[in-house]
Amino acid sequence: MSKKAAKILLVGNPNVGKSVIFNRLTGSDAVVSNYPGTTVDYTEGTFISGKQEYTVIDVPGAYSLEARDKAEEVAVRMLHEHRDATVVVVLDATRIERGLYIALETIEMGRSVLIALNMIDMAHDRKISVDDRKLQKLLGVPVVPLTAITGEGIMQLSDMIRKAQASDVKDILARAEGRASEPAQASGCAGC
Amino acid sequence: MQKEEHPNRHKRQVVQGADMVLNEDQRWSLVDLLAKQTISAGTYKQTVWDVIGELTVKPLTGIPVAFAVLYAFWSVFGSFAGALCTDGFFVKFFDNHFLPWMQAIWPDPNSILYFLFVGDPLADNCFEAFGVLTSGLFIAIGVVLPAVLIFYLMMAILEDSGYLPRLAVLVDTLLHKMGLHGYAIVPTILGLGCNVPAITATRILETKKQRFIMMTLLAIFVPCGAQLGIMLEVIPESVGYVMLFLLIGYVVFGYLLSKIVPGTNPEILIDVPPYHMPQRANITKKLWMRTSGFIINAVPFVLLGVLFINLLYIGGVIQWLSDVFAPVFVHWFGVPKETAGPLIAAFLRKDLAVAQLSNIEMTQYQMISAVVLISIYFPCVATFVVMLKEGWKELLAAVGVLFAVAFIYGGIIHAIGILLGVA
Amino acid sequence: MNTEHNTAQIYIAALGLVTMILGLVDILVWIGFTGGIEFGIMGIAGDDFFRWAWGGLVVFLGGALMLSGCRNVGNIQEFSKVLLGAALVWTIAACDIFAMICENIPAGEEAPEFLNSFAGFVGGFAPPYAPAVILLPFTLVIAYFFYAWGFADES
Repeated sequence: MSKKAAKILLVGNPNVGKSVIFNRLTGSDAVVSNYPGTTVDYTEGTFISGKQEYTVIDVPGAYSLEARDKAEEVAVRMLHEHRDATVVVVLDATRIERGLYIALETIEMGRSVLIALNMIDMAHDRKISVDDRKLQKLLGVPVVPLTAITGEGIMQLSDMIRKAQASDVKDILARAEGRASEPAQASGCAGC
Repeated sequence: MQKEEHPNRHKRQVVQGADMVLNEDQRWSLVDLLAKQTISAGTYKQTVWDVIGELTVKPLTGIPVAFAVLYAFWSVFGSFAGALCTDGFFVKFFDNHFLPWMQAIWPDPNSILYFLFVGDPLADNCFEAFGVLTSGLFIAIGVVLPAVLIFYLMMAILEDSGYLPRLAVLVDTLLHKMGLHGYAIVPTILGLGCNVPAITATRILETKKQRFIMMTLLAIFVPCGAQLGIMLEVIPESVGYVMLFLLIGYVVFGYLLSKIVPGTNPEILIDVPPYHMPQRANITKKLWMRTSGFIINAVPFVLLGVLFINLLYIGGVIQWLSDVFAPVFVHWFGVPKETAGPLIAAFLRKDLAVAQLSNIEMTQYQMISAVVLISIYFPCVATFVVMLKEGWKELLAAVGVLFAVAFIYGGIIHAIGILLGVA
Repeated sequence: MNTEHNTAQIYIAALGLVTMILGLVDILVWIGFTGGIEFGIMGIAGDDFFRWAWGGLVVFLGGALMLSGCRNVGNIQEFSKVLLGAALVWTIAACDIFAMICENIPAGEEAPEFLNSFAGFVGGFAPPYAPAVILLPFTLVIAYFFYAWGFADES
């Protein structure tokens, strides 16, 4: 691993807890509120995991990567400015669908992706169960369940960041339609 | 299922490169496939909190709740900042102890330094003295600090509980008529604390048009926490009328701007997060960050503002401006010509300007008009700077609108006063 | 529905009605049908728009919500309305009590000292009370129902 700080972008829908994860990872004081759109500009911080230093960028919430409002414009710009960065797509476990949309868009860009499945506790309370292993298999990128607000799963997330990888959306489509049973890059993800 | 949840999917330019493999519809159907295979929802029994969550969004039950929330907000603000801190403690401390002490120890009451820092040697309260160390400290610490502190505390609770987006849903219809959408309520409420973060928060609005309207309305019609605090202290019996005039202006000029300003105002589906118990650590962190931000940024401004105005008085500038603009003030706005001084102060700090107004002899209606004028005529310098950051063209346009509105609305308020027979 | 629910329904209906009337009286006194009124330990000064017109409206609406949900209180939808109505009354009452605390901590304006004496502090809580404060103990019964009927339990 290089000694240079590796970059991580936290991307996802508004109000899924990106800033909470950011604060948990970096020990920063990004403002956190319970309404969408709290982070309108990006915030940067650093942390160290497994002797590797990471620069984390908390990107404003976006529903898609079509720059429809200022926050999404910033999100798109950040993705383009940091082409070498690992992208952590944060999903709200209680409403995964809309988050998956932007996750797919990121994967289609050929980025190295890790999925953080946040608010697992809330999903549990609402009797929603998410099969994170199945999701991982289908997407071909690591999926880490966590509850950022209490800090549960944050360590796993920081450990898994180096296992983030790119995936091909055509394969995802094939697997989702049941045309291929094994993920093509499963080997790279064997340990996760 | 979720296509509807994705707002405004039509006619948007796609900015990213040629990396994309799927089109929107294909992507959504893939999302559906993935979701079907990974998510299973058990039978979930609705709790009272869920039902209350829905009730607070429906107009029939939600509007009473909004009334109660706003009532509580203002009531706690008044009790804590007004009754307990300012009237109960700081007025006594500054008027009975600090002011006489300053007047006693500062040498030579006839010197310029005495005038600048202590002010009027005969004053028996800190509003009249108007020196940097007497009125300046009293306004900054005795009046505005408690107001800002309690405001930020309640604001943080509102933010973290998840009530704000529900309020946004409730006011969506009204705000659409003003060329905005429900989320405009977030910058508006933030602006009642301080216009600076509120201007930045306008970025959650979608189009240029919406952001421009919101920014202009913020700068003109939304008084900040510091100003609210000082109004509560100086003109407690008239605050309601001032707020009423500002609210009417906010709605009427919002409507007019939405007709005049080019651009679109698309529908947006508002994302309503679940209610959360606010976490104490997060509340204290926010409270500390914002309050310390206030102490560092605003307190020096208040002190410098008093110094600056006193220098202008000594230099005769304010006297000169009062005379030049006297016809406008007296005949068009119907306020005393001495209002020129506070209007200059208002550019630095609105709270300072209101405090200064309290020393001018005038009727209650003139006071209401003057306070409304001070609120609308120009944003304070800090707000001005963040507006500049959002784009100088917008700023120029906003300032143009601002002067027009201040001139027209000031005249209308005067006319209303004449019609009511109180001006 | 069991008899406990039946009794509760009558209680909530009566409470809702009384709450609505008292909220309405708050507003009427502010409009100026009579001067401030006192009735036993209850007082309605009606001098201030914010407290009496706006606050009275909230009390009135709270009563209306309680009344609207009282017919079938065992149902979670209906009970939530009742609870929300009670919460509106609690809000006004809590604000009144908070205001009393804030006003009674400092000594009077003319007094030289800063803090009120203990006797003065306690004395500040003497009647008359606003209707919302008097309704508070009666509406807290609804919080009791909330726990007693299992609405508070995790599903």
